[in-house]
Amino acid sequence: MSNVMLEVRELTTKYITRFRENIYAVDHVSLKVEEGKSLGIAGESGCGKSTLALSLMGYYFPPLHYTSGEIIIDGHNISGMNPDDVRRSILGTEIAYIPQAAMNALNPTQKIINFIEDVIEAHNPVATKKEIFDIAKGLFEALGLPVDVLQKYPVELSGGMKQRTVIAISVILSPQVLIADEPSSALDVTSQKMVIKMLRNLMDKGYIKAMIFITHELPLLYNVTDDIMVMYAGQIVEKASSKDAVFDPLHPYSKGLMGSIIVPESGLRNVKLTAIPGVPPNLKKPPSGCRFAARCKYVRPECKTLSIPLREVAGGRTYRCILSEEELRELYAWEARKKNE
Amino acid sequence: MKGYRKYFLNKLLWFLITLVTAFILNFILPRLMPGDPVASIVSRLAQGMSNTTGVQAIYQQYSDLFGTNKPMLEQFWLYMRNVFRGDFGFSFSQYPRTVADVIKSSVWWTVILQFPAIIVGWLIGNTLGALAAYRKGSFDKVLMPVSIFISNLPAFGMAIILLVIFGVSLKWFPTSGGYGFDLIPNASWKFVWSVIVHYQLPFWSVVLITIGGQAIGMRSMAIYELNADYVKYSRFMGIKDRKIVGYVFRNAMLPQITGLALSIGTMVGGALVAEIIFSYPGLGSTILTAVLGQDYPLISATTLIITIMVLAANFLIEIIYGVLDPRIKAAQAD
Amino acid sequence: MKHTLQQVFHSGKFVTGFSIFVAILLIVIIYPLIITDPPLRIIGQGTFFEPGIYVNVYDSISSPHYTLNLDDAAAKRIASKLGEDDRIAIKDWLVAVGIPESEIDTTDTAKLLDQWVNNYDPATRISGMTNATRNYYIRLNNSLKGLLSTDGVSIAVANPETAVLEETSTIVQSDYVNVNQVANVRVLPLGTDNFGRDVLTELVEATRVSLQIGFVAGVIATLIGLTLGLLSGYVGGFVDDIIMFITNLFTVIPSFVLLILISFSIGQDRRGPVTIAIVIGFTSWVWTTRAVRSQVISLRNRDHVNLSKLSGHSLVHIIVTDIFPYIASYVVMALILQISSGILVEAGLSILGLGPRTTDVPTLGLMMNWAMIYQAHILGKWWAYFPVIVTIALIAFSMNLMNTGLDQVFNPALRD
Repeated sequence: MSNVMLEVRELTTKYITRFRENIYAVDHVSLKVEEGKSLGIAGESGCGKSTLALSLMGYYFPPLHYTSGEIIIDGHNISGMNPDDVRRSILGTEIAYIPQAAMNALNPTQKIINFIEDVIEAHNPVATKKEIFDIAKGLFEALGLPVDVLQKYPVELSGGMKQRTVIAISVILSPQVLIADEPSSALDVTSQKMVIKMLRNLMDKGYIKAMIFITHELPLLYNVTDDIMVMYAGQIVEKASSKDAVFDPLHPYSKGLMGSIIVPESGLRNVKLTAIPGVPPNLKKPPSGCRFAARCKYVRPECKTLSIPLREVAGGRTYRCILSEEELRELYAWEARKKNE
Repeated sequence: MKGYRKYFLNKLLWFLITLVTAFILNFILPRLMPGDPVASIVSRLAQGMSNTTGVQAIYQQYSDLFGTNKPMLEQFWLYMRNVFRGDFGFSFSQYPRTVADVIKSSVWWTVILQFPAIIVGWLIGNTLGALAAYRKGSFDKVLMPVSIFISNLPAFGMAIILLVIFGVSLKWFPTSGGYGFDLIPNASWKFVWSVIVHYQLPFWSVVLITIGGQAIGMRSMAIYELNADYVKYSRFMGIKDRKIVGYVFRNAMLPQITGLALSIGTMVGGALVAEIIFSYPGLGSTILTAVLGQDYPLISATTLIITIMVLAANFLIEIIYGVLDPRIKAAQAD
Repeated sequence: MKHTLQQVFHSGKFVTGFSIFVAILLIVIIYPLIITDPPLRIIGQGTFFEPGIYVNVYDSISSPHYTLNLDDAAAKRIASKLGEDDRIAIKDWLVAVGIPESEIDTTDTAKLLDQWVNNYDPATRISGMTNATRNYYIRLNNSLKGLLSTDGVSIAVANPETAVLEETSTIVQSDYVNVNQVANVRVLPLGTDNFGRDVLTELVEATRVSLQIGFVAGVIATLIGLTLGLLSGYVGGFVDDIIMFITNLFTVIPSFVLLILISFSIGQDRRGPVTIAIVIGFTSWVWTTRAVRSQVISLRNRDHVNLSKLSGHSLVHIIVTDIFPYIASYVVMALILQISSGILVEAGLSILGLGPRTTDVPTLGLMMNWAMIYQAHILGKWWAYFPVIVTIALIAFSMNLMNTGLDQVFNPALRD
C-alpha cells in the first residue's frame, strides 16, 4: 500500500453571491491520490471542477467559502488550520496551484525573478537574493527553461513560455501535490504538448509526488493521468481508471461527455459525435434527486425524487446512478446496435 | 536605458508634432470661421474706421505685425516668427499694454493655482479610490456616491458653493482676486499672506473636483486588478496579502497616470472657468476680459499659451510614466 | 433584447438616474403648458427680487377687509422693521447708560423697545460719542416712534377736477385681506434675476434649451466617433493609422481651447444655441472614437464576423449586422456621457462669455453668466445661481448614474 499524498473527505464549499445566495459548487466531494499517481478531473464548464481546484488548496477568499469536510495532505489535516498558517506552511510548500489562465497569472509589472523572490521570502524570510537567484537558476536549468527568462517581464514572454514559467515557479518550493487547472487550454498545440511533457517530467523526476489535472478535454487526461473523476453539478458522478473512464464509461453523463468530443486518438477515431442536449442545472436551486436527470436519455420517474448515492463496483470504480452496472451496459449495447443498423 | 531613451525620443517627437498642429490650428481656425476676426480687422482698417485714431493705430500695428492682408502662407510664417519672439502685438482692450505683457502677468497665477491643485487632487483621489476598492463596506458606500456627485458638479459649481459657504457666509476667506485689492505686489509678508489666503478657495475647489473623478477611476481600476489572475496565483503561492495589495495598487495606478495625461486638458478647461468665479487674476479671467473687449490678439495668444501648457504637462506626465512603468523600458528595447 | 432591458431596469443605479432624468424632462415639458408666460419677459422693475408670493397692493386695498385681533401682530411688525444693526446700537446705548448687559436681550423686541423708551433721552451726553452717532440715535428714536404708533393709514385719491386729495378709506392695523380674494397674486418661487425675469420660468426654458444643446452635440459627437471608430477598428491598416493619428492629436490638444477660438471667431451674431451645439459636437468626438475602435478591434476576429466575411457580405452589411449590435450598448453609454458633457461644456463657454447670443433664449450657462456678471454670488442672491447649479448637477448626475448602471450590466467585472 503506497502513501496517500492527498485525501479529501466530504468536502463542501460554496460561493456567496452579492445577493447573499449560497451556491454549493463543490458538494460532498471525496477523493484520494496516492504517491506517484495523478488524478484527472473532467466535466463541462460550470460543473464545479475549477471550484474544486480552488477548494483543494484549503485557503479561501470571498466569494468562495469553506463549509464542511476535510483535506489531508501527506498526513496533515489542514481543514482546521488558521488561514495564516495555511498560507505560510502549506501553500506552495505542500500543495501548489497552476491557474486556469496562466497567461495572466504573473504580475505584469514585475520581473520573473522579483516575483520568485516574493514567493520564497513569504516562506523563508531570511533567504538572500543571491540564494534565491541560485535556486531559481538551478530549477530553470533542470526543467530546460532559458535562465534569461528570470530577468524578463511577463510581456516579453510568449504564451507557452509564460505557462512553463508559471509551472516552474509553482514547484520552486518543492510541493508534494500539484493542482493544474486547465494549464494548456489557451495554448496552441505545440505549446500544449510541451506543457504536458513538462508536467509528466515533474512527476517522473520526483519534483512533485502527486498531481491533480483538471480539464474539459477528456482525451488529454487519458494521456496524462492514471485515474479520472467526472464531475457534474458540483458532485462526483464517476471515478475510474483513465482507460475505463474513456473507453468504458458507466455513468450516462460520462458516456455523453465522451461522445461529445472530437478525439484524434487511435481506437476512438470512429466514435460518432453526439452532444449532450441541455445545460447543467442552476446550482442556486439544485434539483432534488439525480442532478443529471433533466438531460439523461435513460431517465426514469424515480430519478427525479430519490437521492442517489455513489455506488462502488468491481475494479475500484464508483459511479452515481440508479441503474446497476449490468443495466447500463445493456442499455449502451442496445444503443450501439440501433446506431449501426 | 536604451529602451527608455527610445521611449523618450518617441514622446518628444509626438510632443513636437502636437505643438506644430496646435500652432496651425490656432492660426487657421479663426481665419476659416464665418465671423473671421482677422478679416474684420482688415476690413475695419480698409474703411478708415470711424473710431478714434488711437484705436486705428492699434489695428494698423496689428495688421503690420501679422501682415493680415498678405497671402495666407506668408501670414503663417510671420505668425510663427512673432510667436517665437513672444510678440503678439498690442491688446485691443487694454491698450497700451502689449498682449505679451497681459499674459505675463496672468499666466503664473494660473500655473501656480492649477497644477498643484490637480496634482494634490489626483493624489488624494487615488488614495481614496484605492481604499474604497480594498476596504469596501461602508467606507465605499459613503465615498462612492459622494464622489460621483462631486465629479458631476462642474468646476465652477464647486467654486461657487465654496465661495458662498466659506467666503460669503462664514467670511473665512476673501471672495475674489489673487491678493488684497488694497495691496501692491511686493515681497512683504503681508502680501505673501494675502496671496496665500486668496489662494485657498480656488485651490480647494479644483482639488475637490479632481478628487471625485480620480477616486471613481481608481476604484474601478483597483477592483479590476483585484480580480486579476495574478492576484489569485500570488495568494496560492503563499504571498502575504499586504504585498499583493502593493502589486494591485501599483498596477492600478499606472493607467491612472495615463488617464491624467489624457484628461489634463479638460481639467484645465474646467479650472479656468472656476478662476472666473473667484475673479482670480489668471488666464481664465484674461479670456473673459478679452471676450468682453472683442480683443482678438489677446484671445489668440491666451489660447495658444494654454495649449502649450497643457501639451507640456502632458509630455511631462508621459515622461514620468515611462520611468514608473517598467514595461516601457522592456517593451521598447526589442 | 427584452431580457437586456429587464436587466438594465433591475440596476438600482440606472433606475435612480433614469427617474431623475425623466422627472426633469417631465417638468420641462409640463411646466410651459401651465405657466405660458414667455420665459424671458422682464416682469420685475429692478434686480433680484427675493423668492416669495407677491401680492398686488392696489388690489388688496380694494379687496374686502377683515379684522383679525392677533396679539403678536404689533411685535412682529416692529420686529420686521428693526434691523440687527439697530438692535445692537440700542444695546450699546443701554449699556452706556448703565443697564447691566445680562438684562438686555436683543432678540426680545418688546422688552428691548420698552427699555429703550424708558432709558433714551436725547439730552443725555455719553462720553466719547461722536456727533454723528448722536444724530443716528436721534433718527433711530424718531423712526421707532413711528413704528410704535397704533394709528391706521388713510387711503386718499386725488380728485381729477380739483386735484385735491380725498380720503376714501382708512386701513387700521388689524385689517387683513384674504389672498384668495386679491385679483393679482404672483408666486415667484425663485424670485427674479438681474433683469427682473422670473427665475423659475427662465430656468425651465434654459433646461430645455441646454438639454437640446447637449442632445445635438452628443448625437453629432457620437456619430462622428462611431463612424471613425468603426472605420479605424474594422478596416485597420492605413485608414486606422490616419484616424488614430488625428484622434491622438485631438486627445491631447485641449478641445476647450478650440471651442474658445471657434466660438469667438464665429462672432456674437451668429452664435445661436444650435451653432454652439454643433461646435461642441465637432470638438468632442475623440473619446467615442477611441472606445468604439477598441471594441471593434476585439470583435474583428470573432468567429461570426469571419463567417460573415467568408460568406461574401459587404463591409456595410458586416458592420451593421455583425459588429454594431455588439457595440450598441457602448454607443448608448458614450452618447449619454456626451450629452451630459455637452451641457457642461456649454455652461463653461457661456460663463466665459462665449455662449449663445443673449437675446433670444436662456441656457443654463447663460443664466450662470448673467448671475456672475451681476455678482449674485457676492450679493447673496442665491436664487439666481444656485438652482442653476443644482439643475446642471442633477442632469449630469442622473446621466452618469444611468451610465454606471449600464456599465455594470454590460461589464460584470465591476459588479462587486
